[in-house]
Amino acid sequence: MKIRDRELVDRLAGEYVLGTLRGRARRHFERWLVSPQVGSMVKAWEERLAGLEPAVERVAPSAGVWKGIESRLGLRAREHTPAARWLALAASLLLFGIIGFFAWRQPLPTTQSVSIGETNGTIYWQVELLGENQELSVQVRNAHALEAGKAHELWILPASGNPVSLGLLPASGEAHRTLTAAQRAALVGAKQLAVSLEPAGGSPTGLPTGPVLHVAPLQPA
Amino acid sequence: MDRTDTLPPEIELAQLLQRCAARDSGAFRTLYDKTSPILFARLLRMLRRRSVAEEALQEVYVRIWERAVQYEAHRGRALAWMVTIARYCAIDLMRRERLTLVGDDALADIADDSGGESNGFDKPNNFDHCIGQLSENARKCLTLAFVEGRSHDEIAQLTTSPLGSVKSWIRRGLLSLKQCLSDGRQAA
Repeated sequence: MKIRDRELVDRLAGEYVLGTLRGRARRHFERWLVSPQVGSMVKAWEERLAGLEPAVERVAPSAGVWKGIESRLGLRAREHTPAARWLALAASLLLFGIIGFFAWRQPLPTTQSVSIGETNGTIYWQVELLGENQELSVQVRNAHALEAGKAHELWILPASGNPVSLGLLPASGEAHRTLTAAQRAALVGAKQLAVSLEPAGGSPTGLPTGPVLHVAPLQPA
Repeated sequence: MDRTDTLPPEIELAQLLQRCAARDSGAFRTLYDKTSPILFARLLRMLRRRSVAEEALQEVYVRIWERAVQYEAHRGRALAWMVTIARYCAIDLMRRERLTLVGDDALADIADDSGGESNGFDKPNNFDHCIGQLSENARKCLTLAFVEGRSHDEIAQLTTSPLGSVKSWIRRGLLSLKQCLSDGRQAA
């Protein structure tokens, strides 16, 4: 970008954040937002103009708003019937059986290493992705409290779309498994792993059903 | 309007957003309960009409759910992130609906609040000094645009000023603000 252009784009970024860039000009400018240079100009203006933000006020919206959000996002459709839960559980057990059967072990270089734990530094699990995300190895560092009949399940939070399960986390010792093509695909571009509390045997729906207990960033080793 | 309760703690909102990224719909509901009155009041300031602001609020939370995975705690404060989404959403809606808002002050009762609760935004260092350096006209134009979402034309009508003057107050105001804030940073 030439200096002259940069000044112009920065001026437009200021008016974009302020809100006075309207209509076709605004839509046109939004197409430039994919550029990291333009993105950082916008971010800088957001920080500068944050000083204009007024004091917080509260007005309760009507109850219909939440219902609209729920139905637009299909959040209610997530509740499955008991029969569907058992079917999903059986399918995931079968899948784990197949993975276990075909799993072979050979040393692979670690590509990513993720510590999952508390912000105070306590690490519960050390998760390592080996090779080109071909295998997963989990080591328990400190035992995580867990009530009877429950399990901890590990998830990939992909760059877009729903979380993808990486299976149950061991309560002690270590675990080693080969990743499926779907799991490897979900890891491409993913920035975080998450741990949710699930019924023993894992999520019956294929998506996290219990509370998410931990979220950890993925970092190249 | 209830101004007695304090802001939800930032750390809690950041964690709720992370859980939303993991598609925890229970966390999303909690986040909505804690923040929707704040975002709704902010949208009302810009859109004025309750029905339009409620439509915008729905869109805002759909975007929050879809973009939660992009929220990175270290890049800013959670409430500020959500308010920014709300502001852009309100501007988009004005564009689509071609709303003419000048003179419609049915909800002006929320627009005269000042000095209330802190808003979860980090004011840049030196901001008060720098905004004070601007001309009265520039300051008024920037506030009408940012806080209430007014367009150039609307500001010209509201302040009974020529459109050309409004545009140049805004352009010069933004430039001086940027200059002054960056001088402050160098001096610090």
